[in-house]
Amino acid sequence: MKLTQTKSDQRGFIHAISGDAHFASRITAIGITEGTAFQTVRNDRKMPVLVYLRETLIAVNREDAERIEVETA
Amino acid sequence: MGQPNSGKSTVYNALTGSRQHVGNWPGKTVEKNDGYYTYKGTRFTVTDLPGSYGLSGNSDEETITVDFIKSGQADLVCILVDASQLERSMYMVAEFAALDKPAVLLLNMMDVAKTQKKEIDAKLLEKRLGIPVLPFTAADGRGYTELKELLSRELEAPHKLSSAPESGMSGTSAEAILSESQAKYRWIAAVLEGVTRTATQKYKLSRFDRIATSPVKGKILCLGIVLAAFLVAMMVCVPIMSIAQMIPQLLYGPISSLLTGWNVHPWLVSVFSMMLPNVLYFTLSMASFVFGVNLAFGFLEEIGFLARAAYQFDGVLSRLGLQGKAICPVLMGFGCTIGGACGTRIMDNWGQRMLAMAVVWAVPCGAIWGVIPVISGMFFGPVGTLLVCLLILVYMVLMMWIVSKIFGRKLAPKESRSGMIMELPPYHKAHWKHILKEAFLKAWDIFRRALGTVTLVSLVFYIFSFSGSGSIQESLLYRVGTFIEPVTRFFGLGWQTFMAFLSSAFAKEAVLGVLNAAFVGQGGLLEATFFAKTAAADNAALAVSMAQTISKPEALAFLFACTFNVPCVMALTTTYRESHSLKWTARVALFYIGCALVLACIVYHIAALFL
Repeated sequence: MKLTQTKSDQRGFIHAISGDAHFASRITAIGITEGTAFQTVRNDRKMPVLVYLRETLIAVNREDAERIEVETA
Repeated sequence: MGQPNSGKSTVYNALTGSRQHVGNWPGKTVEKNDGYYTYKGTRFTVTDLPGSYGLSGNSDEETITVDFIKSGQADLVCILVDASQLERSMYMVAEFAALDKPAVLLLNMMDVAKTQKKEIDAKLLEKRLGIPVLPFTAADGRGYTELKELLSRELEAPHKLSSAPESGMSGTSAEAILSESQAKYRWIAAVLEGVTRTATQKYKLSRFDRIATSPVKGKILCLGIVLAAFLVAMMVCVPIMSIAQMIPQLLYGPISSLLTGWNVHPWLVSVFSMMLPNVLYFTLSMASFVFGVNLAFGFLEEIGFLARAAYQFDGVLSRLGLQGKAICPVLMGFGCTIGGACGTRIMDNWGQRMLAMAVVWAVPCGAIWGVIPVISGMFFGPVGTLLVCLLILVYMVLMMWIVSKIFGRKLAPKESRSGMIMELPPYHKAHWKHILKEAFLKAWDIFRRALGTVTLVSLVFYIFSFSGSGSIQESLLYRVGTFIEPVTRFFGLGWQTFMAFLSSAFAKEAVLGVLNAAFVGQGGLLEATFFAKTAAADNAALAVSMAQTISKPEALAFLFACTFNVPCVMALTTTYRESHSLKWTARVALFYIGCALVLACIVYHIAALFL
C-alpha cells in the first residue's frame, strides 16, 4: 500500500520508492530508504504526511508520499 | 558543512562573530558566507557551506559544496551532525566519504541527546571513522576554545576518513541512487554499532504538537504565535525607536543655532540640523526593528516552532513558488516591511529569500494602514472606507500572485521547486544568550551598512524638496511636479497627489504631512517629510481643501498607488542589505513603481465610470 493510505500510529517498513533520480536522492538523503522501519504519525487530508523514522519526524508532501510503497506490520 | 538544523550557522557565527563577509557564489543565486577568527596569533578563514541533506548534486547548494571541497580550497572540512538523530544525520558523512578530504566531526546538540537519555561513545566512533570526533553544544557558547584548539591541531596534521561505504551500482539512474543510499545506511549502521542505540519505541506527538500539526487548529495557532512574536518584536523595538525619535528634535535646535552662528549657508545648516539627525533616527529605528524581529524569530526557529509553521502553510505558499516558512515574513509585512524583509532570513536559499521579499513588499505595512482610513474617510465615509480596505486586501493577494509569477521564474525556477520533504525537529530549549547575541550582531550589521545608503537617498530627496523660503512653490519637486503634471494626470494623479506618491516611497507616514503642505500650504515640505511622526497634520483642514481640489476617482487612484508603491526607503535599504543584490532590489523596485502607476491609471479610469 502507499504511504498516503496509512493511518496514524500504523507502523511498518518502506517497501519501494518510485520516481526520478532527483526524487530518489532527495528522499534517501533525508533518511527514507527501502527497508526502513517507520511509523505514520499523522495523515490528514490535503496535508503532508508526517512519518517518524530513524528517530526523526519527517513531513512528506502528498504527491511525493504517493510514490512511496510501504508494508504495514 | 552540515544538514539543515544541524546548527551549522551557529558554529559559524560563534567562531567568526562580526568578522564576516557575505557575497554570492560565482554565477549562482546562493549566498556565500566567509569569515575569519584569530587563534593563538594565526588567522583562520571559515566558510559556511550551504546546508543540504546530501551531496548528490541535486541543487545549486549541493553542487557548490561538492565543487568547493573538491577544489581543495578548504584545508579542513568540519562536518556537523545532530547527535540526537545520529543515524540519519550521519548520511552527510557517508556522502562526504567519497570526496576523500581531511575532516573533523562535530557531534552537535549533545544537550538534546542527553535529555533524550542517549549515550554516544565518541571515542569508539573516532576509532571507527579515523577522524577526530568532538561532542558539542553549539548554542550554549561553551567549548569553542576546545574546538579552535582541535581545528588548529588538525590543520597541522589532518586526518581523512579511514572507512567509506562500499560503492554500489554506479550511475545516475533512480535505481542506482536507491541502491547507493542503502549501502550508505548499511555503512552508517556498521559504524554506529555499539556507539549508540537507535531508539525504536513508538513515537507520540506531544499535546502541543497534536494541535500544532492539526489542519485547522494548527493554522490558527501558527497565525496566533506569529502575531504574538510580532508584538514581542514591537515591544522590544518601540522603546528604542521612541528614544531615537527624540534625536531629530533634540539636535535640530542646537545644531542649527550653532551653524547659523558660524554663518554657514542655510542649505547646509538644514542638512546638518534636519536631515542628518533624521538619518540617524531612521537608521536606528531600522536597526531596532531588525533586532526585535531577529529576537522573536530567532527564538521561534531555535525552539523548532518555525518548522511547524512551514508544514502548515506549505500548500498555500507553494502556489506562489515559496516555501511554507515564508508565512512568517509575509505576516510580519502587515506590521512593517522592514520586519518582513529581515524575517526572510529564515528561508533556505537566496532565491527564496529574494522572492519572499518581493512578495512581502505587496503587503501594506502598518504605517500605510494608518494613512488609508484617514484619506479614504475624507472621501468615502465609514462604509466606503471599509470597502476600500477590502479592495486593497483583494488587490494585495493579486499583486502577490503577479509578483511571484514575474519574479518567481528566475528566483525559484520550476525545476528547483520540489514538494516539501523536511524534518520537524524536536522542540529545543532556547539558548537566550545565543539568540540575543545573534540578534544584536544582525542589527549592528544593518545599522553600520545602512547609514550610508539612507544618507544618500535622503540627500536626493532633500535636494528635491528644499526651498529657501520654506514655501512649497520654490522646491524643485514642485517645479518638476507641475511640469510633468500632464503626464501624471494620465495616471489619475495631480501634482499634489503625485508628490505625495513620491514621498510615500520615502516614508509612508510622510503622505499626510506632504498632502497637508501641498493642499493647505501649511508647513514646509521638508518638515512634513522629516518630522512626519512628530508634527501632527491638521486633518480637518486637509479634508476640506482636498475634497475641493481633487475628485473621488483621483483619491482612490492615489490610495492604491501609495499602498502598492515601493516600500519606504528603510525597507528598501533593508531589502538591499539582506539580499546583497542591488540589481534585484532595483529591478523589483522599478517594477513596483511601474505597477503602482499603471494601477493608479486603471483605478482612476474605472472609478471615473462609477463615481
